[in-house]
Amino acid sequence: MSRLGNNADWADDDEYDDPSALPATQITENKDGTKTVVSYRFNDDNKKVKVTRRIKATVVREHVNPQVAERRSWAKFGLEKGHAPGPSFDTTSVGENMVFRPSTNWKAQAADAEKNPEQGSMKDQLKDKKVKCRICSGEHFTARCPFKDTMAPVEEPTGGADMGADEVGAAGGLGAGSSSYVPPHMRGKAGGAAGEKMGGRFEKDDLATLRVTNVSELAEEQELRDLFERFGRVTRVFLARDRETQRAKGFAFISYADRGDAARACEKMDGFGYRHLILRVEFAKRTT
Amino acid sequence: MRPILLSGHERSLTQIKFNKDGDLIFSTSKDKVVCAWWSANGERLGTYSGHQGAVWTVDVSPNTVLLATGSADNTVRLWNIKTGECVKTWDFPTAVKRVAFSPDGSKLLAVTEKRMGFLGTIAVLDIAYGDGELNNLNVQAEEPSLRITCEDSKATVAGWSYMGKYIIAGHEDGSVSQYDPKTGDQLENVQAHEFDHQINDLQFSPDRTYFITASKDKSAKLISASNLAILKTYVADTPLNSASITAKKDYVILGGGQAAMDVTTTSARQGKFEARFYHKVFEDEIGRVRGHFGPLNTIDVHPAGTAYASGGEDGYVRIHHFDKPYFDFMYEVEREQLRK
Repeated sequence: MSRLGNNADWADDDEYDDPSALPATQITENKDGTKTVVSYRFNDDNKKVKVTRRIKATVVREHVNPQVAERRSWAKFGLEKGHAPGPSFDTTSVGENMVFRPSTNWKAQAADAEKNPEQGSMKDQLKDKKVKCRICSGEHFTARCPFKDTMAPVEEPTGGADMGADEVGAAGGLGAGSSSYVPPHMRGKAGGAAGEKMGGRFEKDDLATLRVTNVSELAEEQELRDLFERFGRVTRVFLARDRETQRAKGFAFISYADRGDAARACEKMDGFGYRHLILRVEFAKRTT
Repeated sequence: MRPILLSGHERSLTQIKFNKDGDLIFSTSKDKVVCAWWSANGERLGTYSGHQGAVWTVDVSPNTVLLATGSADNTVRLWNIKTGECVKTWDFPTAVKRVAFSPDGSKLLAVTEKRMGFLGTIAVLDIAYGDGELNNLNVQAEEPSLRITCEDSKATVAGWSYMGKYIIAGHEDGSVSQYDPKTGDQLENVQAHEFDHQINDLQFSPDRTYFITASKDKSAKLISASNLAILKTYVADTPLNSASITAKKDYVILGGGQAAMDVTTTSARQGKFEARFYHKVFEDEIGRVRGHFGPLNTIDVHPAGTAYASGGEDGYVRIHHFDKPYFDFMYEVEREQLRK
């Protein structure tokens, strides 16, 4: 009887865990070349924490001259004498990531990023203002954009829908108040076909888009662009990539400015050998 | 871009130097210790201790065998980089504000302070490298082979031009002068910066045919080494402590900030404690990198132009390895030029 009081039951004995012991670290290899490391530790409140990390190891080989390589083997000295190799935490740390993007009008961008522009006179604020295209954000007027026939402006996904509404109101198509709602099917009568087709001319893009399959995992967007650009102006190259490994998934879309170029490219590039694989090129089907 | 922060110093930084291969960084500060770091990961290789006062300046020999430091304890010390031993000490009458190896490493110049009745001088020391196996490094000349005395205005910074042909010095009164390193004669003197605005830094381009000066007059100038013609001017809104020319890309990096004694009266925002990037040719400011909590005292660029390190009044060294947008940036005209 006295045994029961202080000792654990024999049945629990096997499963009895020392609460201070931590389970062993598990490492599993994933299909895509990454590793998942599950480790356990105690946090500041002495609670057990499970840490799951997904690690992708990249080996970077660099060639250095022999003197530099020889220096790598030097022993530490002075205050660092006898310390283990690798940066020590009390002298070396990594700062916050920062974006450094050189630009001719960096002042305006910095003000935008901070949302706290220094209050200067209007003239100062406009001094660094640059022309910016609404379609491609280049430094030209929107009307001069080389992509204006093929791409929609970023801010207006549906071409001129609000403009259509204005016209109808002015024409007095229905009702008393000019601000009253006009359903889309009524708008067409007054304002022509403005509201009829969504996006209108920008859909033309689809007609000149090729779907390329059987693309190598190691393909690069720039290489594809170079390959396909010889048939005409390429407006867009999209290469599907794996989110984690950044490897190509095996298909890509190429948009041409002109359908004739696309047809020629489709004919010529279908069956083209690229990076040990044979490309299959066809017109992209419209997504409905 | 993730900066690496090095916190091995207890007081403000005075100078940072990359070695010629760019794998090591040497930093000096007002606490008597000199630190050596690996530039790739920020690991500290070791420290060189022995100085009795603030260490003002450091330079590394072109073959990364010897390190020279100048200090407020009136000495120039020569160190064996690999082992951390002090191999030679030269005593001067006043503090040493700048040391620099000649391009071939055979000479070392030391700029001494004007104080206690002594005029400012530039002393040239001959350097020997023992038997090539790191032995007998302590066999060095006892006396400087040349002393240049600056009678008008003391030199604050100095360096060697291409092939060690001239010694170029920046002065307290804002002028820049050119000396013959064989005779010690002053060949030329140009009032490059505003009168009575001290030149705080002078760094050469990779081929040493031109150099950049940073001055208290809130500007930095690119000056030709052969005739001291002012090629470019970069205007900032704060006194400058350091300026550096980047390899690979045509930029210059300027660092400065409100003088240390005025800092407490200004907020961090007004203090302008940022590294400023200017385009070397177009003289436009193209970006800033912030991070320090005090003025930037010193900047050095990796000899290959892939990274830069800055040291501040806050006691930190920050190493920045540049990423893609830095290398991609081009002016429209440059891009057009490339297309042709």
